[in-house]
Amino acid sequence: MASSGGSLRRYALTRLALVIPMVLILLTVVFLLMRVAPGDPIQAALGGKLSPAQLEEKRRAAGFTKPLIVQYVDYLKQVFSLNLGTAITDNQPITTVLKVNGAATLELSVAASIIALVIGVPIGLRAGRLRDSAFDAGGRLFGIITYAAPVFFVGLLFQLVFSKWLNWLPNSGMLSPIDQAELPTHTHLSVVDAIWDHNMSAFIDSLKHLAMPSFTLGLLLCGVVIRLIRTNLIQTLKGDYVEAARARGVPEHKVVMRHAFRNALVPVVTVMGLQAALLLSGAVLTEETFNWPGIGNQLVTYLNNRDYTAVQGIITIFALAVVFISLLIDFVNAAIDPRVRY
Amino acid sequence: MRRQQLFATVAVVATLSLAAAACSSSKPKAASPGSGTASAPAAGGKLQQVVLGTTDKVISIDPAGAYDEGSWVLQWNIYQALLKIKAGTADVVPDAASGCSWTNTTTYTCKLVPGLTFSNGDPLDAAAVVYSIQRVVKINDPNGPSSLLSSMKSVAAQGTDTVVFTLNAPNSVFPYILTTGAGNIVDPKVFPADKLLPDGPGDIGSGVYTLSKYTANQQAVLTPNKKYKGDDVLANKGFIVHYEQTPATLKLDVEQGNVDVAWRSLSPTDIASLQTETSKVKVVKGNGIEIRYLVFNTSLPPAKDLATRQAVAYSIDRNAIANNVYNGTVTPLYSMVPAGLTGATQAYKDAYGATPDPAKAKAVLAAAGITTPVNITIWWTPSHYGAVSGDEYTEIKRELEATGLFKVTLQSAEWDAYSKAYPKDQYEAFELGWFPDYPDADDYLAPFYLKGGFYNNHYDNPAIDTLLTQEEGETDATKRLGELQQIQTLAAKDVPTIPIWQGNQVAATGLTVTGVDKTFDPSYIFRMWLIGKS
Repeated sequence: MASSGGSLRRYALTRLALVIPMVLILLTVVFLLMRVAPGDPIQAALGGKLSPAQLEEKRRAAGFTKPLIVQYVDYLKQVFSLNLGTAITDNQPITTVLKVNGAATLELSVAASIIALVIGVPIGLRAGRLRDSAFDAGGRLFGIITYAAPVFFVGLLFQLVFSKWLNWLPNSGMLSPIDQAELPTHTHLSVVDAIWDHNMSAFIDSLKHLAMPSFTLGLLLCGVVIRLIRTNLIQTLKGDYVEAARARGVPEHKVVMRHAFRNALVPVVTVMGLQAALLLSGAVLTEETFNWPGIGNQLVTYLNNRDYTAVQGIITIFALAVVFISLLIDFVNAAIDPRVRY
Repeated sequence: MRRQQLFATVAVVATLSLAAAACSSSKPKAASPGSGTASAPAAGGKLQQVVLGTTDKVISIDPAGAYDEGSWVLQWNIYQALLKIKAGTADVVPDAASGCSWTNTTTYTCKLVPGLTFSNGDPLDAAAVVYSIQRVVKINDPNGPSSLLSSMKSVAAQGTDTVVFTLNAPNSVFPYILTTGAGNIVDPKVFPADKLLPDGPGDIGSGVYTLSKYTANQQAVLTPNKKYKGDDVLANKGFIVHYEQTPATLKLDVEQGNVDVAWRSLSPTDIASLQTETSKVKVVKGNGIEIRYLVFNTSLPPAKDLATRQAVAYSIDRNAIANNVYNGTVTPLYSMVPAGLTGATQAYKDAYGATPDPAKAKAVLAAAGITTPVNITIWWTPSHYGAVSGDEYTEIKRELEATGLFKVTLQSAEWDAYSKAYPKDQYEAFELGWFPDYPDADDYLAPFYLKGGFYNNHYDNPAIDTLLTQEEGETDATKRLGELQQIQTLAAKDVPTIPIWQGNQVAATGLTVTGVDKTFDPSYIFRMWLIGKS
């Protein structure tokens, strides 16, 4: 027992130690990619307005003419002192951007994950249970289509049908302008703020705005969920303990739900954790399509404006989030599976 | 198990809520923004809140940190300057000043309206004006308007109500500069002297509105400034600026009534489509002086030959571009100074005609001994002036090749690479656009013709340089007019650029929205107080 605990501790420490070079490599890649890309914020904003000499003077004033290594050291210092700086193109502190826009992304991601699970789990379960049936074939096809369909395409289709043609849902944004103006900001999560403020009208409005983006992103994720649940359920249904349960006369739905499904969930949880990267990249496209004021939407704007500081800050946080989630999954894996050790 | 059940319940409830929301009332609440406390604003009725949708971005609400239309739109409504542009004209009139005048050719003196205060009650005096102007220069923010004040040598307060500007050299357009964001007056007790103030309700001015809520890139909420003492009268009870990501969502939002006014920037296709939806929206057009033009690098072949440039000028059909590419949302432009500004001529129309003249183009090339077809590469960018630039230059290529005198190769590059390449002699001919700093002909001449222009195309005409210096220092309006016209005539002969079109200002509004047409003038100042809703 002591040996197992020591081994787990060693594993955890090793994984933690590996995070440091991983993060450093990520930071360096982010920094270099931004410098390799053509243009800079001054050029992007004032390129057609000022003479080359005036542009150069503004570039010097902004510190873009400093040697690359000096800029790199400044950048690392900023990151390690948890000061991500201020966006050059809109004068917003990056921490504020992360707080305000990050909350919008969180709201969208949570709603999309819930939708993915609510749609994906039942279909995956039934498809696994009724293997090679018409439902299974249909479920797999649905899973492949939702996973393969480009997010922006699905989003545009939704906008066309539910907003333009049927006029059921607002086409973009997080809240209607009037509700957004009148709703006090507590958390930057529109649904939570509406509940906080006991504002039913804003609550309904926020759900309406959330519906299309979250379904769009949720459908992308549910394709993965369907296939994972189905495959793992089929494997676990072959297990001896499942046969034993059936032999004891346990009803089939209990065999599936209590015995097979719970065991099938273990790898699903692991893989779903790793889908965080997919969720973030999907969120960028979804936010862009629906004018959702999330961090991905903001990132695209900053990228277009070549805002080094802002892009570096946001990508650093994205990267750290993925690293942190991977680390967490490794720990969970190690905790539930004794074979995972160094 | 209980946890699983709880999770499942929460998940199902959340999903059902989303589905219920999706299926509930088909009318979005914001379809009637302003509903609630406000009543219809018929004559004598209550004023309503108005929502403006735009794809413009705000770089900074602090006047020292922005040199762009998106930021200035907010600033013009929150701050006062000494002078402003009178709505519907290009005339400079007093704002926070009771009057301004030239003491001599390099000294400009303004007297303040007595008793002005900022929205927080702090006094607005001459010291505050001096502080505001000086901090723009001192901060020299990379995105800021300090370069607009480069002609100013010093600014000083005389007593509490007089401000004296001393210039490096005579500059007749200096009053216009004071109407830009560079001239906005801020509260010295609120704005730090050496750095920008973070954007938010702390941005204190003395303009028609105060900024009551601001979420960057999402929304700005403006409410009437109760301490405003100017002469502008409110037609609404407040204004919301809703920032959109794309013209497509902007169009949908105005169609659905989520925004009352969609302004900057709907695509020509969207405008054409909205013009047919007369039961939902109306399209309002007004004077605009944003221009697009073709630049020749006069040091590179084949554009270094005057005859080649003149032959291109004879061959371009601006009407076809305006109608076929832009659906009539732009107007053909025959001088770098757009129609609507004092001193504008139609120099290119006079020199090369209103319609293409291939015969004259051929003659001018033949006279210069240039072999045809002339191979020319024209560059354009899809990422700064919109994707429609591609259609515009395809049309120009078609027109030039239709004469049989040119073989055109079109090349495009992303703005960042493009804007670095053209001043470095890498493009022989290229597309550019110009958005005015202030509505005066000088802003359309000096940047383009003075010693190669800001784009460094090597065009140098000493006669034009002399005339530019003269008009900038000219105090006699009639003489200045003559000088401006002479410059345009000389430039049209040399063809360092070819003006293509000037854009109209276009907005789509709800059917009950009024007043947008009143604010459309060459200054591009969006005066929110003029917009009402019934």
